[in-house]
Amino acid sequence: MKVITLRHTLPVVFAESPPSGSDVWLAETTFRRGEKYLIEAASGTGKSSLCGYLYGYRRDYAGEILFDECDVRRLTKRQWSVLRNTSLAMMFQDMRLFPELTALENVRIKNNLTRHKTEEQIAQLFEELSITEKRDSLVGKLSLGQQQRVAFVRMLCQKADFMLLDEPVSHLDDANAGAMARVLEREAAAEGCGIVITSIGKHFEMSYDKTLAL
Amino acid sequence: MSLVWKLLRRHVSVGQLAGFFLANLIGMAIILVAVQFYRDVRPVIAAPDSFMSNDFLILSRDVGQGVRTDGVGFSREELDALAAQPFVLAVGEFTPARYSVTGGISFAGSGFYTYMFFESVPDRFLDVESDEWRFTEGDRTIPIILPRNYLNLYNFGFAATQGLPQMGEEFISQLMIDIEVEGGGRTQNFRGRIVAFSNRLNTILVPESFIEWSNARFADRPAADPSRIIVEVRNAADEALHRFLTTHGYRIEGDPGSGQLAFFMRMIAGVVAGVGLLVTALSLFIFMLSIFLLLQKNAQKLEDLLLAGYTPAQVARPYQLMSVGLNMLAAVCAIVAMLLARAVYMPMIGLLADGNSIGTGADVLSTIFAGLLAAIFVAMLNVLAIRRKVGGLWTQ
Repeated sequence: MKVITLRHTLPVVFAESPPSGSDVWLAETTFRRGEKYLIEAASGTGKSSLCGYLYGYRRDYAGEILFDECDVRRLTKRQWSVLRNTSLAMMFQDMRLFPELTALENVRIKNNLTRHKTEEQIAQLFEELSITEKRDSLVGKLSLGQQQRVAFVRMLCQKADFMLLDEPVSHLDDANAGAMARVLEREAAAEGCGIVITSIGKHFEMSYDKTLAL
Repeated sequence: MSLVWKLLRRHVSVGQLAGFFLANLIGMAIILVAVQFYRDVRPVIAAPDSFMSNDFLILSRDVGQGVRTDGVGFSREELDALAAQPFVLAVGEFTPARYSVTGGISFAGSGFYTYMFFESVPDRFLDVESDEWRFTEGDRTIPIILPRNYLNLYNFGFAATQGLPQMGEEFISQLMIDIEVEGGGRTQNFRGRIVAFSNRLNTILVPESFIEWSNARFADRPAADPSRIIVEVRNAADEALHRFLTTHGYRIEGDPGSGQLAFFMRMIAGVVAGVGLLVTALSLFIFMLSIFLLLQKNAQKLEDLLLAGYTPAQVARPYQLMSVGLNMLAAVCAIVAMLLARAVYMPMIGLLADGNSIGTGADVLSTIFAGLLAAIFVAMLNVLAIRRKVGGLWTQ
C-alpha cells in the first residue's frame, strides 16, 4: 500500500455540527508511504475514531477512505487480518495488551503470527527501551509507561507500509520518549514505511513531513 | 502450550463442560441403545425384515356361515381400488396351482402321502430369504416354503401324541419330498425341498416361476379371481385401513399380531430414541450456552487478538477443537455404553429368539457408524456456531 486517502470523511457523530478548520475531516487528505505525519487534536475531535477507521475496527463515518484505489468499506474481515499482519501496524492509545501474559509473551503473541523479528532483535528492542528487566513480568503489574513501551515493541513485530500510533507518549518521560522516537525513526526508515502519530499535546520530537490539525 | 490458548482457556468452566459431556453421553447412549435394541429384537417378534419395514396383511373375503360355491375372489376392479388407497403400498395376489398335487415323505421306515396344494406370491411379499428360492423349467427340484405353524402343529400336536419324532427346521430342510403333479392328462414327478419357514404366509408356497410354468402345462381348471391377496401397508394399526376393510367385507387372515407387535415395538423404540434425542438436544443447548458465555467473558481478549492481526478462524480454533474433542469423546463413550448394554440384553433376546436369526454384527457396525455420523454433524454445528459468534465480535 502506497497511499491512504481520506475524501470528505466525517465521523457520523459530527454530522449535526461539522467541525470547522480541520485539515482532515471533510477535506481531501493523503498519507504517503515513507512520510511522517503528526495529527494534533484537541480532546473530542475524533482522534481515536480516525485510528479506528484506518485500522478497520470502526466504520461509523461518512465519505470515503481509500487504501491506494480500494475503498476500505469493501475489505473483508480476512483482508483486514492480512493487512494487520503485513501492511498496517498500530499502537493503541489504551495499548490493548493482555495483562495475564508477560511483557515478552505480549510481544511474542504478535511475532508468532508474523515471524518478523528474531528473539535477539526483540531482546535488543527491550534493551533500547529500558524494559529488559520487565520481560518476564506480567503486563498487568507494569506501569503505564512501561506498558506503552511493550505495546510499541509489539507494533514493530510486523512488516508495515504505515504505522499508526495513537498518543504513544502520553505516559512517557522525555528521556524514554526520545529513545522511542529514535527507534521508531530507525525502524520506519528501514521499512520505508509511513508514520501517522496522533497527539493531544505531548509528542515525539521528530522531523515531521506534515502536521495536521484535526 | 500456545499463547493464544493460554489466554483463551481462562473462564473455561470444567463443571459446565463436564455437565455437557455427561448429558451428551447420556442422550447419545439412549438413542444408540434404543436403535440397536429395536434392530436386535425385531427379528424375534417379526421375521427378519429390513429396518423400519412396513406391515403385511393377508386379506380374504368373508365366506359367511354356510358353504359357497360361487367364488369368493377379488375382481380386477376391487384390486385396483385397494391398490389406489393411500395407506396401501403394494398388493400381491396368491396364485393357486390349478391341478392336483400329491406329496409324500418316507423316513424312519414309515411314510405318508397326502393331497396338497401349491400357491405363489410375488417374491417381495416373502418374509424369508433363501438362495435356493428359484425354479427354472427343467429343474427336478421345487423349493417350498411352509408356514411355521405347520411345523409347530406337527411337532407339538401330531408327533407328540402319535409317538412320532419331533423334527427341527434344520432336519426338515434336509428331507426330500416326493411330489407328483397331475392334470391336463399329464403326470410328472418332482422332488420337493423345504427351504424356509414363513411366519407371515399361511400357505404352501412355491416360486412364482414354477406356478406359471406348471399351470400352463397341467392346469385342468380355468383361472379364477384370486381368493386371497397380500397387502403391504404403511401401518397395520391405521384406522382408515380398518374402516376400508370393514366396509368392503374383507377379512384379515390369521393373527395380525406380529405386525402390530412390531408396530408397538417401533413406537416404543421411537419414543425412547425421541427422549434420547431430546436429552442430546438439551445437552447441546447447554453446551452452546456455556460456550457463548465463555466467548462473552473472553470477548475483550478475543477482540484484542483480532486487532493484533489474528483471523476470526484462528481465534475460534481453540474453542472449536475443544467442542469437537468433547463431542467425539462423548460419542465414543456412548458407543461403548451401547455395546455394554447390548452384551447384557443379547443373551435374553437369544432365549426368546427360538431359532430365528438375531441381529448380526453388520447391524451393530451400522449403528456405530450412524452414531459417529450424528456426532460429526453435531460437532460441525458447534464449529459453525462458534465461528459465527467470534465473527460477530469483529467490531465495526
